[in-house]
Amino acid sequence: MEAMERRDFIRRTLQAALSLTVAGAVPVLDLWPLKAAAADMPALAVRTGADIPRLVAETLAALGGMEHFVKRGETVVVKPNIGWDRTPEQGANTHPLVVKTVVEHCLEAGAKRVLLFDRSCNDPRRCYVQSGIEAAIAALGSSKVTLQHVERRDFQELDIRQGKELDRWSFYRPALEADRFINLPVAKDHGISVLTLGMKNIMGVIGGNRGQLHRNIAESLADINTVVHSDLTLIDATRILVDNGPQGGRLSDVSRRDTLIASADIVAADSFATTLFGLRPEQVPSVVAGARRGLGIMDLNKVKRV
Amino acid sequence: MKKLLSWKKARLAVQLLCLFLFLWLFLQTEYRGSDTLAYPVGLLFRIDPLAALASALAPGAFAWRALWPALVVVALTVLLGRFFCGWICPLGTTLDGVGALVGRGRSVRRSSWRRVKYVLLIALAASALLGLQLMGLFDPLSLFLRSLTLALYPAFHLVLSSVFDFFHAHRVPVLTPVLDGIYPFFRDHLLAFHPPSFSLALFTLLTFLAVVLLEKVERRFWCRNLCPLGALLGLCSRWSLLQRVPAGECTDCRVCAESCRMGAATAQGQLKGECLLCLDCAEYCPRERVSFRWGRPGERALGPDLSRRTVVTSLAAGALVAPVARMLPPMRLQNPYLLRPPGAVAEDDFLRRCIRCGECMKVCIGGALHPAFGQAGATGLWTPLLVARLGYCEYNCTLCGQVCPTGAIALLQKPEKQKTVIGLAVFDKNRCLPYARGEECLVCEEHCPTGEKAIVFDLKTVESAEGPRILKVPRVIPRLCIGCGICETRCPLDGASAIRVVNEGESRQPRDIWS
Repeated sequence: MEAMERRDFIRRTLQAALSLTVAGAVPVLDLWPLKAAAADMPALAVRTGADIPRLVAETLAALGGMEHFVKRGETVVVKPNIGWDRTPEQGANTHPLVVKTVVEHCLEAGAKRVLLFDRSCNDPRRCYVQSGIEAAIAALGSSKVTLQHVERRDFQELDIRQGKELDRWSFYRPALEADRFINLPVAKDHGISVLTLGMKNIMGVIGGNRGQLHRNIAESLADINTVVHSDLTLIDATRILVDNGPQGGRLSDVSRRDTLIASADIVAADSFATTLFGLRPEQVPSVVAGARRGLGIMDLNKVKRV
Repeated sequence: MKKLLSWKKARLAVQLLCLFLFLWLFLQTEYRGSDTLAYPVGLLFRIDPLAALASALAPGAFAWRALWPALVVVALTVLLGRFFCGWICPLGTTLDGVGALVGRGRSVRRSSWRRVKYVLLIALAASALLGLQLMGLFDPLSLFLRSLTLALYPAFHLVLSSVFDFFHAHRVPVLTPVLDGIYPFFRDHLLAFHPPSFSLALFTLLTFLAVVLLEKVERRFWCRNLCPLGALLGLCSRWSLLQRVPAGECTDCRVCAESCRMGAATAQGQLKGECLLCLDCAEYCPRERVSFRWGRPGERALGPDLSRRTVVTSLAAGALVAPVARMLPPMRLQNPYLLRPPGAVAEDDFLRRCIRCGECMKVCIGGALHPAFGQAGATGLWTPLLVARLGYCEYNCTLCGQVCPTGAIALLQKPEKQKTVIGLAVFDKNRCLPYARGEECLVCEEHCPTGEKAIVFDLKTVESAEGPRILKVPRVIPRLCIGCGICETRCPLDGASAIRVVNEGESRQPRDIWS
């Protein structure tokens, strides 16, 4: 019974990947609305462990390994949260070791090029250094991997066809042009959006006056997530910021959980992450909006734990 | 005797080397991945005797640690003469270069013009002693770096990045690949990380051009007639031990009178305070008579043409202006938005120490510091203001204190800086979205950097068309706010921010025993 389900699952995801490839081949930049991605029973992997490289490996293996998401010769964007001028212990940015290990898996899967960036809130140079991510990526010593600062000139205004709150916004073009987009948020408390998880991490791919999105953060996040599709969302909950988010600063607000959550379904991943904070998915408006807008499955009973 | 390496060429080489060194240090005046700057980027002001004079005349301790090299320059000047102006000063080199490019004026001013710089120096010193320090307005090194920071470099950045961006957006065969190829080098080494823009760019450029274009009136007009640093070094050179032989013009030749860039060789003798030791005359002398030798100044070595009356008048002018300028009502009361960088000393002392060099504005990582025009009073021209709508003070950054050469901005360690209060954020409830329109926002709360947030929110029930609704409404906790201004910078409203930092509760504000 179990074997049948897995085969079924693989077939469906391959179908989804194929339809995505076809969609990607169409020469328009505002990507296709991604109906195919929300397959009926999305797989969700949750693993715990203190050894981060091993934890990443186990979590990815549960979903069929990175080869399942990244094919040989593809260009991959890995989008961590590097939003704040904070150290790894402070839990405001994705853990550098998670970032580094994910990139290693991309390279092992045969990625031609891996690009990392974030449009940060504090000074980007300080964030890249202080987060430990600049050093972690430099330690890889791979010419295929680039951690870059986003540049004004590479943003492009696009129509958001399925937009409810936003009908047009600027997006970072390299993120849209890549073959694969791996979303690597850190799970944190957040004033206006309750939590910041996978959907909120896409804020780092857009240009413009981002504060304006706060007026209706849930629908706005759903809007931009219809343009930037995450092929894989891997939520870093090795330590989570439970208060004073999203930038924290006090170690007393950081709670160690040694957990990673991964899924091809961004809503399912976000939905599960809410439980780490003692919340129900319905209490986080962006998760509700994402599910309602067809970005993925919120009901954890309809998600297949792998 | 023709040497292989002539003195003139050596001097030119040193001039260019110094100019490029200062330009390179200027480019390094920026965050480059380390909390502490890797190079002594403020070197230009650490060797500036006028900065040292300003620091010495200000209350409190002399900034020995930063400024001892300036005293070395003074000592060398006493020994050698005014070499600094001829060999090192980047403004002098710029003037020489511009003169060579656009041509130089040949009109000869009356010699009394030279007195202006001494008058200026004496008046500036007298007024600084009495509490009004304006040396930075006329300090050639301040003028040079300030013009570079506020006007020339932003223009350089704008033009270059526009070219790169244009051909990046509009693909042109050959040209686009070449430009895109060299772009990373320019981006990483020559261009600024954030596009620099400053409020007084044009005004600063005009003052710079005015000084440069005086070259069309007379060669080294600024250095001969106006520069107070030149005057100071000139006074130090009066009894220097390097002598020109012959001291002045010879009876049978006028070449010196026409060719000396400073007009220092006169019929009466050598003006000691005017000779820059450029050593050109040792070369252009048709009879190869001129040489420089060690020895005590002779009878034809002349001092400045300063009468006692001139000195007294200059002193009196400075002494009169200073108290009048200081008599004004406190600027912090006249302008509640007068904010200074963290670590700035109390306003009165700050104005007495700041030499308007622009180093802090160059290094500010958040683009928060801008030159004042009238916001800090008439005497606060070009001093750094923190303009929080344009940029904010980065919580973990201590760079402005690291570059300030005179101690106007104290060097703070990070934990100390994070407790230093620049001001207090105050909501404008008529504009703030949750207050004024019942809409969600909280961008200020999100960005507030203190570990325990100084901006928190309360849940309030508001009436809306769909019935009552819970709204998150922000509030400042004054005890925790340090006035960094990120809330004001990031407030998503168009135009004026709905939260503004005022100068309430500044750490630097001395307790007034009277009011």
